[in-house]
Amino acid sequence: MNIHEYQAKQILSKYGIKVPKGKVAYTPLEAKTIAGEISLKGPWMIKSQIHSGARNKGYFLEKKAGKDGGIRQVKTRRSIAKEADEMLGSTLVTVQTGHKGKVVHKVYVEEYVKIDQTFYCGMVIDRMTPAITLLVCDSNFDDDIIRVALSSPDKILRTALNLENGATVAQVRNVLNFLNLPANSFKNLKKFIDGLHKAFVDNDATMIEVNPVGVTKRGELMALDAKMSFDDSAMFRHKDISMLRDESEYIERKLKALKYGFNYGEFDGSVGLIVNGDGISLALIDLLRQKDFDAACFLNVKGGVDKDKIAAGIKLIMTNPRVEGILINILGGFLRCNLIAEGIVASASEVGLNVPLVVRFEGINKEYAKEILVKSSLPLKISDEMETSVNDLLELMREGD
Amino acid sequence: MSILINKNTKIIVQGITGTQASFHARRSMEYGTNIVAGVTPGKSGLSHLGVPVFNTAVEAVKETGATASVMFVPAKAVVSATKDAIAAGMETLVCITDKVPIKDMMYVREMLKDSKTRFIGPNTPGVITPGEARMGIFPENIHQPGNIGVVSRSSTLTYEAVLEIKRAGLGQSTVVGLGDDMVVGSDFIDIIDQFMKDDETKAVVAIGTLGGRYEEKLAEYYSGLKEKKHIIGFVAGNNSAYRYNVGYAGDIITRGHITMQDKRDALSEAGILTINRINYLHEELKNIMK
Repeated sequence: MNIHEYQAKQILSKYGIKVPKGKVAYTPLEAKTIAGEISLKGPWMIKSQIHSGARNKGYFLEKKAGKDGGIRQVKTRRSIAKEADEMLGSTLVTVQTGHKGKVVHKVYVEEYVKIDQTFYCGMVIDRMTPAITLLVCDSNFDDDIIRVALSSPDKILRTALNLENGATVAQVRNVLNFLNLPANSFKNLKKFIDGLHKAFVDNDATMIEVNPVGVTKRGELMALDAKMSFDDSAMFRHKDISMLRDESEYIERKLKALKYGFNYGEFDGSVGLIVNGDGISLALIDLLRQKDFDAACFLNVKGGVDKDKIAAGIKLIMTNPRVEGILINILGGFLRCNLIAEGIVASASEVGLNVPLVVRFEGINKEYAKEILVKSSLPLKISDEMETSVNDLLELMREGD
Repeated sequence: MSILINKNTKIIVQGITGTQASFHARRSMEYGTNIVAGVTPGKSGLSHLGVPVFNTAVEAVKETGATASVMFVPAKAVVSATKDAIAAGMETLVCITDKVPIKDMMYVREMLKDSKTRFIGPNTPGVITPGEARMGIFPENIHQPGNIGVVSRSSTLTYEAVLEIKRAGLGQSTVVGLGDDMVVGSDFIDIIDQFMKDDETKAVVAIGTLGGRYEEKLAEYYSGLKEKKHIIGFVAGNNSAYRYNVGYAGDIITRGHITMQDKRDALSEAGILTINRINYLHEELKNIMK
C-alpha cells in the first residue's frame, strides 16, 4: 500500500525528521490561502499529490495544465492559484504511472527551503540478506535514481541495517564520507537515519524514499520529498495507516478484488486471466506474448475459500469490456477446483457469458469441478494442459473475429 | 531415500484444529503420512483426527518424538509458533500460512540462525515425498514416486512441473515449495544441496521467478560443484510485469539484474539446462533420463 507525500511527511516528522512547512489544498483558493499561512513572501513549492515519484519530470496530458511538470516553484501568491488551477483535475504522467497517468485531486503547498546540497536516500528490504537496507546516492549526479542504478551502480551506497538497532556509528560515518557531507552534519545524519529506520520498522514499511534530502548551510537535514509503501500483510496491526489508503488511486475493479481478498491487475491486451498464483500468471502472460497476444487483466484467487467471493471475482473479469476471451487456469491445492466451477456457473448465469472461455483444472476436486461445468451446458471449452488451453482460447478468439 | 521427510518421519501439525488444517491433515493421514500429534494453544488434552492435541510443540515433541512440523497457524501467530517449534528442536518446519508480515519473517530468520531447524515457506504448498509423506496442501493425486527432485519459488508452477514429470512417465523423489513470499526460510541451494547427496534423486527441476538473485546464486553454487546431477531450470515472468508489481527502490537493490533473461543466462552459463516454456519440461526430462 502506498501513501501520498504529505502523509509520509507527517509520519516521518513524528520520528524527528525535519520537513518543510506545508499543507494540502483541494482548490486553487485554498492553495492561495495556505501559501499565506506558510509565509508572507515567496517562493513556495506546489506539488501534485499522486502516488508516484519523478513527478517533477512528468508532464500533464491536458493543455490547460501547461508544459511544466507536476512539481512547480512559484514566486507570487497570485500565481499559486493559477498553478493549482492548472494541476487540479489534470492528468499527470510520469515514468512510474504508465502512459495513462493519474488524475491530480489535491496539491501540497510548501515553503521553499534554501539548501546547500542534496542527496537521495532510500530504505528497502533486501530479500537476499534479508535486511532493511539503506541506500544513498549523490543526487547532484543524476536525478533519476533508476538510471543511476542501471548505468553506475557504484554511485549508490547500500548499507544493511540491524533489524533492532538500525545503523551503527561506523555505518553513519561511512555514509557521511560517501556523500561528502560536512562534518558538522554527523549528528543530524545519525538522527535522520535512525528516524527513517524506526519509522520503517514501527509501521511495517516496505519502502521509504526521500528524494532528495536537503542539507542546509548549518548542516541540518530536511526531507524535501517523501514516499512510503507498506506491507499489506501487516496492515491488520496498523489501522491508522490503513485509513490513509486513497481509493482514487486504484481502478475500481482492483478495489473490488481487494475487498474480496484477491489480487487484480491490468495490462494492455485482450485476454482475461483467472489463476491461483503469481507464478502461473507470469508464465501464462509470457506464453501469450510468445504468441503475439497479451493479457487484459488477471485475477489471482489464491487462498479463496468463499464461494460468493470467488463468483464475484469471476464476474469482475466477465464484465470487463476489454476482455475478448477468458482463460481460467486453476491448480487446486488449498483452493478446491469445484469452488471455481461453481463460481463460473453462478457469475455466468448472472451476467451472461459473451466471450470465449477456456477452463483448465488440475489438482484437488478436478473431476468434480469438470462435472459441474459439463452439467451447466455453458458454451465453454475444457482443456487439460497449459499450452493447449492457451492455444484453444486463441483459436476461439480468432474465429470470433 | 528422499529428502526432508519420508514415511517414518514423525510429524505434528501446528494449528491442527483449524478448518483448513483439519481438511489437509486428514488428507495427509489418508495418504499415509505419519502424523503423530497436533498443537493448538489452550486445547491440550483433546483428541482431533485421532491424534492427541497439545498446547505447545515442545510438549508434543516430548510425548511423541516428532522431528517435523507443518504449520497452519494464523499469520500473526507465525513468530510465536516458530519460536515454539525451534525450542522443541524441530528439524523440519513447513509453514503453509500466507500473508505473513515481511518483518515477522525477518525476525524468524534471525531466530533460525542459531538453530538446527530447516524452515520452509511461508506461503508454500509444502513438502511431499510421493507415496510416503505429505506436509501441506499439495494435490497429492498428481504425484508419483520416482527420481526427480523438484524445488520451486512458485506454488502453482510446482504443480505444473509435477504434471510435466508425470507426462514424461517419471516420478518425484521429493517436491519442495520454497514459498512465494519476499522473505522465505530456505532457498534453492539449501534444498538442492540435499538433492545432490540423495541417492534416490537422479535429476532436479528448479523453478524460479522474478525478484532477488536466487537464480544467480544457484548458478554460482552449481558451477562450483564437483559432482553434479542434471538440473533443468525454468524462470517465469517478464520485466514489465515485474515493474508492475514491485516498487522503485526495490529495483535498485538488485542493480538492474531483474529480467528473466538475466536469470536464464546465469543458469545456462553455469551448465543448467534452461527451458522457455514449462511444458517443454517433459521432453527434456525424457532426454536426460534416457
